[in-house]
Amino acid sequence: MVRNSKGRQKIEMVKMKNENNLQVTFSKRRSGLFKKASELCTLCGAEIVVIVFSPGKKVFSFGHPNVDCVIDRFLNINPPHPRQHTDMQLSEAHRNAIVRDLNNHLTQVTEEFEIEKKRNEDLKQKRNNNKMPENWWEEPIETLNLSQLTEFKCGLKNLRKTVTAEASKNLQAIVPRHNFYAGSSNNAAFGIFDDKGTIDPDLDLYNRQRMVVKNTCACNHHNMIVPHHITTPFGNIGNSITEGFAPEYNQNQNQLCFKQEHISECDHHSDQPHHFGHGYY
Amino acid sequence: MTRQKVKMAFIENESSRKATYKKRKSGILKKANELATLCGVPVGVIIDSAYDLSPEVWPSREEMDKVMSQWQRLPVMDRTKKMLNQQSYLQQRISKESETCKKLTKENKELQMKEVMFDCLSGKTSPSRIEKSDLRDCGNVIEQYLKNLNRRIEILSKNDGASSSYVHAAATTSVAMPIVEMGSSSTAFCDMIRQQQIQSSMNQNVRGLDLNQQQW
Repeated sequence: MVRNSKGRQKIEMVKMKNENNLQVTFSKRRSGLFKKASELCTLCGAEIVVIVFSPGKKVFSFGHPNVDCVIDRFLNINPPHPRQHTDMQLSEAHRNAIVRDLNNHLTQVTEEFEIEKKRNEDLKQKRNNNKMPENWWEEPIETLNLSQLTEFKCGLKNLRKTVTAEASKNLQAIVPRHNFYAGSSNNAAFGIFDDKGTIDPDLDLYNRQRMVVKNTCACNHHNMIVPHHITTPFGNIGNSITEGFAPEYNQNQNQLCFKQEHISECDHHSDQPHHFGHGYY
Repeated sequence: MTRQKVKMAFIENESSRKATYKKRKSGILKKANELATLCGVPVGVIIDSAYDLSPEVWPSREEMDKVMSQWQRLPVMDRTKKMLNQQSYLQQRISKESETCKKLTKENKELQMKEVMFDCLSGKTSPSRIEKSDLRDCGNVIEQYLKNLNRRIEILSKNDGASSSYVHAAATTSVAMPIVEMGSSSTAFCDMIRQQQIQSSMNQNVRGLDLNQQQW
């Protein structure tokens, strides 16, 4: 494992020279000091006040039960009236209960955080282990040349198609299946073709699906399937290069096909929605 | 020896509590000293408990008085702006850590979906086998990747117009090869690539023949 920094090092106990480092150190150490103070109060029930002035002359303070109370006592201002004692005890009990809950909550969040951190490490490790040198597309984008990028783009676009199709199966309850165009124009409706989309490609799949419905309903009368020879309102877009990368994911009879063949070749199922040839990519 | 994780709650055992108090108190004062020295700033600490006859004042009464006068010279608003007690401090920490945790969860999801995407491309799995709940996230990751690809393509195309069009043409030529229909099975991206490589090497030979014919 390549180490990027030297790790913890002993530092001299003198005022730091570098202004920026000093500011950063101040932030971190002040935060750490407050954490220690809070822990002391929780663990041992002590009373504490910590006052710190920043390099920028701003003041930070932490106090338990609160800053002013402890300071007043130190300066011998306003000693508590005996009659106030029981009230103070009650509110202290109340306060302690709240703090106890907060501490439990914080512990829980910290544990979840630790779990996520571990998962993060594991995922990165997994990527390292699964690395296959012949799969050049798994390398960082910056290392790929233009032809590789273009090929990769085609492959990904096709993958996107099938993933979108799978996702649309899940939304069948919301949108009637028959209104869907197969193949390329489906994507066109999603606005997924490169630079000129009618629909914001930043929309997640669910919202894009809704946009498709909107668009299809606009041109679909009586819930009829538009015959294949009519140009869709979405026009003729896309790279002809993508032709070559048409993985065929045939699904069962009454579902959508994503074959990129010429129209004349798809007439075998009369009850099926018509396919769109490469011209409608 | 690994440390025992301490539960952040009032220590019930009296002797434990007292021992912890002494250790942690001295630890806090040490840290306060380091902060004051390294950053050259005024710091004042008061700690009081049942275990002390009188409150511990750090660095000293005189120094604390100086801090106090500086404190009192400040308008009340400035004093209270960054003032915290247990309650407010813990709430702050909870929200910060939740925030960071959420970001990490998001990143983890993206990393996971990226693996799924790569597995689909290399034929190890297919979209039909992706968890239904992950489909949307997977789609988003693919989308983001495509965006980055496009951005990169744009940069490269701009940088050298001449050579890139050559490369582009090369890609076109290789892709225009007739691709074998794979029937009802899905064809992985990586298989396409390999087929291409085979085709293009075959093509090299064919081109060689054509040239011979032209010379005729």
